[in-house]
Amino acid sequence: MGEPQDEPTTPGRSAEADDPVWLAARLAEAQEQLTATREILSILARASSSEDDVFEAVVDNARRICRAQAAQIHVVDGDLYQLVRSRGLDRDFFEFSADNPVPRDRDSLVGRVALDRTAQQIADVLADPEYNRPELQRRGGYRSIIGAPMLLDDEVVGVLSVWRTTVEPFDEHTENLLTTFAEQAALALRNVELSSALQSRSAELARKVDELEALADIGAAISSTLDPDEVLATIVEHAVDLSGADGGSLMEYDEERRLFRVRTTYGTSDDVREQLKTVRIHVDESFVGRAAISGMPVQVTDLSDIELDPHLRLLLDAGWKSLVVIPLVRPDRIVGALVVRRLTPGAFSDETCDLLTAFASQSAIALTNARLYEQLELQRRELATTSQHKSDFLASMSHELRTPLNAVIGFSEVLLERMFGELNDRQAEYVQDILDAGQHLLALLNDVLDLSKVEAGRMELEVTTFPAPDAIRGVLALVRERAGQHAVELGFDPTGTPTHITADELRLKQVLLNVIGNAVKFTPAGGTVTVHAWTEGPEVLITVTDTGIGVAESDRSRIFDSFQQGTRSAASSEGTGLGLTLTRRIVELHGGRMWLESELGVGSTFGLALPRQVHTGPVTGWTEPAVDDGRRAIVVIEDDPSSAELVAVHLTAAGLRPVAVRTGEEGLAAVRALRPAAVVLDIHLPGMDGWDVLSAIKADPQLAPTPVVVVSVLPERGHGFALGAADYLVKPVSKDSLLGAVWRAVAERVDRAGERRDVVVIDDDPVALELVRATLEPHGWTVTTCTGGAEALSVIRAVNPSIVLVDLLMPEVDGFEVVDALRADPRTAATPVVVLTAKSLTAKDRQRLRGRIEFVASKGELDLSWLAARLTQVATGGSVPDEGREVQP
Amino acid sequence: MSELSVLLVEDNPRNLKLARDVLEHAGFAVTAVTSGEEVLAAARTAAPDVILMDLQLPGIDGHAALSRLRADPLTAGIPVVAVSAFAMQVDRDRALASGFDGYLMKPISVREFPEQVRGHARGPDGAP
Repeated sequence: MGEPQDEPTTPGRSAEADDPVWLAARLAEAQEQLTATREILSILARASSSEDDVFEAVVDNARRICRAQAAQIHVVDGDLYQLVRSRGLDRDFFEFSADNPVPRDRDSLVGRVALDRTAQQIADVLADPEYNRPELQRRGGYRSIIGAPMLLDDEVVGVLSVWRTTVEPFDEHTENLLTTFAEQAALALRNVELSSALQSRSAELARKVDELEALADIGAAISSTLDPDEVLATIVEHAVDLSGADGGSLMEYDEERRLFRVRTTYGTSDDVREQLKTVRIHVDESFVGRAAISGMPVQVTDLSDIELDPHLRLLLDAGWKSLVVIPLVRPDRIVGALVVRRLTPGAFSDETCDLLTAFASQSAIALTNARLYEQLELQRRELATTSQHKSDFLASMSHELRTPLNAVIGFSEVLLERMFGELNDRQAEYVQDILDAGQHLLALLNDVLDLSKVEAGRMELEVTTFPAPDAIRGVLALVRERAGQHAVELGFDPTGTPTHITADELRLKQVLLNVIGNAVKFTPAGGTVTVHAWTEGPEVLITVTDTGIGVAESDRSRIFDSFQQGTRSAASSEGTGLGLTLTRRIVELHGGRMWLESELGVGSTFGLALPRQVHTGPVTGWTEPAVDDGRRAIVVIEDDPSSAELVAVHLTAAGLRPVAVRTGEEGLAAVRALRPAAVVLDIHLPGMDGWDVLSAIKADPQLAPTPVVVVSVLPERGHGFALGAADYLVKPVSKDSLLGAVWRAVAERVDRAGERRDVVVIDDDPVALELVRATLEPHGWTVTTCTGGAEALSVIRAVNPSIVLVDLLMPEVDGFEVVDALRADPRTAATPVVVLTAKSLTAKDRQRLRGRIEFVASKGELDLSWLAARLTQVATGGSVPDEGREVQP
Repeated sequence: MSELSVLLVEDNPRNLKLARDVLEHAGFAVTAVTSGEEVLAAARTAAPDVILMDLQLPGIDGHAALSRLRADPLTAGIPVVAVSAFAMQVDRDRALASGFDGYLMKPISVREFPEQVRGHARGPDGAP
């Protein structure tokens, strides 16, 4: 049965290969080795495994499979190799060995492996002349020993070795196996390195994300609320949390008194906060002041180590041990300081200081805003008080004047009625004069009251539809007598006059009476006053033309202002001086406008235009004349005053002219009257809500082109776009997204004339194709469909569509390939592509599509109206908002 | 048509004289008081067909005087019309809401005043 196995180190095929017993043993061995290797690999593959787990498995398996008494791993530490893990060693040996790390030399096997970087063995350490670790050998009693290097990047980072206490050299096969185990052990080290690097990297990322989120929160707080204390509290809270501190305060600098005043604190007890608010922190005499002047973060690592100012003394007494002061500065001045404190001593890292400095710039802006806001609020309150005083005064004055007027007018009438006997002509004339004067005073009083009512936003219109010619004739009848006395001829040709008009009838008559009365008053004897009324577009126009003295050009713009009668008042004409102001205000309340054409000595034409449809409801707020000062008007419909103010501030800063109203009814009237470039619309409104306003605008062919940007707390984009919103922003809205949306909407409207909407849709599912077609065609799209990627490319080149909508999963040429092909061809490289897919995208997919497509829409939960609106937005060149780049709606 | 009686409540002597002279000339029987405190007693005594009451009065005002009239079964049914120099719509609304039967604003129209008052007066049999 062949030769005996006297050469166990000789591997490979030999005569023994024919021996089934030998073969069976080899097979079992190989299986055992495979299992061991697998075990180690599987431990290696587990993300959670540490190097210990791997080393454990390695020494365990190495000892067993190499049939050795012991296995050990030495890991490099500087120039020496340190025993870190073993199997089969007694505690005494392990400790001795661990206390004697191995240098790279020929004294030991581990040293030789480290030196030569190759696996090798010593068949019998006692027979090896170079071997020089007698003490260790005596303790362990090993004779044959073999080791393999753990190589990482060509460096021997460790040595795996096994030994036997008998002289029984290891075969080549064992050497190979040990080499494999050593490689695996090395891998474990690398994995651990990578994993800890990964962990610290991901911890760093998480921290960065936290920081960014905090900064974004603050940004949002700054732009979404004008409540300064809320913003400041947000800043302090985040600053403290992110720097891992225990508390903090935000101080405001009073430039006049050169003092810092604590405005907001976080993580600070109530009584300490109260003390902080009263402690004197002078810029020249405090630590905070010195930091502020230096403009750099300054920290105290231990408050008990330094000389204390009253502020720091207070903090130390309250248990605070360390702090950092971040000055809040604007380019030209100190605004305040942010103080972040800890209850323990210690330094704040550079990273923390950098982070806090980023906060500081936000905080400086917030503080500046807060101050402006407070000033604004103060002025607003003062104005409100003044306005209330004015109203009270007017009501009281009216009452006090009316009481004696009642007697003046009443007794005059009693006399003129001859209730108690006849008057002679002269007496009658004088009493009439008294009556006229009394009534003039009364008219003045009434105008004052009306005007104050309009200005306080308390005039309500009672809008009805009534016959226009009758109303005009009625007013003419009232002035006919006076016109006769002045020998002025009144003319009215009802031809072309609309049969009906919609307005507050009494107020419209008041307006006409004033304008026609004025015309009669300022027209010399023999002149004429002619009234015309006609319909033009959405308006009813009424003009009153006289052959009077005219209004000088310099007076024309002022004539509608209170107490201005122009130079024509020189003719001792009597008027309240309020009439035209009131008249204009009433016309504007109807959503209309007034104008004046005049030539001195020739005559004047006063015109008024009323919208044919006037919406009822309380009308408050916008009394701003519809003048075109070159800035584009944006109607802002928002019932919350602070939100409206914020939007108005942003729009004004962007060179637009915001006109803010608080109700849907007013908003619609304002849109009709002003024809704004765009509308910013809140949804929650008293009475008519934003959806109604949006529908009304889109239902009126005259108004429909006006882009409407919805700004709401409701996340109902789909509904908004379906109703025709140009954009839909969910509160809180940053300045940039607001202005972005408004400008896009305005620009889009301008572009719309030349727009062309062709879309090529590629999908292998015919049902999906029809669905998209049915959705897009009503929105004015021309839809070309393709059922495959290959066909699509030639169709796209032929059609040259304004947008391509592509499915990802298709047989043969898939969506990715279509995108690649389109981007590669200069003719289609710029064609916007939108991906519509049922596939959930992997990170790799996203990577592949990034920057090459507009956005991804998921078929699963797709809102088709939303898609239509988004496609329109893309096609008209409006960039898609960032959050929509990769949308899964 | 028998003579209608009216109780005037007016603190301003000239306006009281005007209203009294105009109404008497129109055939009303007029009694008058100049403060809110006197209204209830005068109304109980005179049992007028209508009361014309100024709102701003010394002592208790027109609204308080009305409450007293309404609280007394003897006077609760007498129509009370406010005659006031308060000219705001809110003043009129408030007066009507608090139970006045009418609101006439000063200055009164001498020509129309008697008819306006007659319109609010209850008949001689006590019916409104």
